[in-house]
Amino acid sequence: MIGAALAIARVKLLLELRRREVVFAMLLFVVATIVIVHFALRADAGAGPRAAAGMLWAAVVFTAVLGLLRAFAAEAEEGALDALLLAPVDRAAIWLGSALAQFGFLVVVELVAVPLWWLLFFQEDGPAPVPVIAALLLANVGIALVGTLAAALALGARTRDVLLPVLVLPLAIPLVLAGVTATYGAFGEKGGGFGPLGPLGFLALYDLIFLALAWGTSEHLLGD
Amino acid sequence: MQAPAVSLEECSKRFGERLALRKATLAVAPGETVVLLGPNGAGKSTLLRLAAGLLRPTAGHARIDGVDASAAPRALRAGMAYAGHRSQLYRGLTAHENLALHARLHGRALDVDGALAAVGLADRADERIDGFSRGMLQRLALARATAHEPVLLLLDEPASGLDADGRALLDAVLAAGRGRRTQLVASHDHDLPDRLGARAVHLDGGRIA
Repeated sequence: MIGAALAIARVKLLLELRRREVVFAMLLFVVATIVIVHFALRADAGAGPRAAAGMLWAAVVFTAVLGLLRAFAAEAEEGALDALLLAPVDRAAIWLGSALAQFGFLVVVELVAVPLWWLLFFQEDGPAPVPVIAALLLANVGIALVGTLAAALALGARTRDVLLPVLVLPLAIPLVLAGVTATYGAFGEKGGGFGPLGPLGFLALYDLIFLALAWGTSEHLLGD
Repeated sequence: MQAPAVSLEECSKRFGERLALRKATLAVAPGETVVLLGPNGAGKSTLLRLAAGLLRPTAGHARIDGVDASAAPRALRAGMAYAGHRSQLYRGLTAHENLALHARLHGRALDVDGALAAVGLADRADERIDGFSRGMLQRLALARATAHEPVLLLLDEPASGLDADGRALLDAVLAAGRGRRTQLVASHDHDLPDRLGARAVHLDGGRIA
């Protein structure tokens, strides 16, 4: 099961390395979003830590949806999903492998987005980096798990491009709220004086719950 | 009495308003080769996808070895192969990488180089398949479908796009499998059943004639 999932994830990462179709689009989107909002909020005039945190998390979630829209594009091209469905592996491996690839894409995007966000919004007095990075990694897991399952669900729908955000964004609201709270909390006294541990715990719990839910349902949700 | 390798009982499949297959009943014995013949839209592909478990019937039952095809356990899926209209391969991978993934998913050390050589693609093994012609994709799909030596082989118009050598290769693969595995093949080649000594089943308008 894990071996098959890793094999599928490896294929997806290899394809992206060769074709640069998904991550490149995600990078353009997230950079454009951060720069535009930077000017819109006049960050240099003091946008405030909560607005900056909210901006980062909104950009991450919308960028993730952009990537999820192409989560199964490689399988759709030549019907490779049929071969995966008929392979003697748990169907959860197809979902888990795709989710692992999505997680990787998000990490690459954030490696660019977070330093840019930092540079534009806080030349100094930024949040403590460790809680922000931890919150992003935990949220990436949740987005990848839930988003890939939703992408699989929407696969056969003609209105997939509309359906996927409708499915994913409501489920991502708790992640955004916890992520913003963790990021805001990482400002210390400036961020209200409460720590980021509570929201980080919530994000970890969210990941565990949706890992179990998605694992249990993916066998039935994938396919006809 | 041995259960049929593939059986459809009063099997119907509806796509929206269109009834693609109407109360089809078919039993394929283990080791038997059956050729499905019929015009475009007759329901051949739908029947094959139901038999593979890739579609669930709207009514009736599709079974493999007596088990609901759409819920076939891993052990059953390990012994079957389906090649459809599309190659079911990853276009950004090489021919070798595609078959290596297939082997990995089957949890077996398959002779990937041998499988490629058998379909005449040994010298193209390390080329990405997005540059392959339709016929080459068909050859590679045939290699993928037979590399793990399935006991049930489902092929949907496998000759489309193949040149004369490719069609001869396909005939040889099907002839070699006759009696050794169950084969269900959709085709427009009305001579194929005679060439293979196989049973012909005619479909028209979603019905088995």
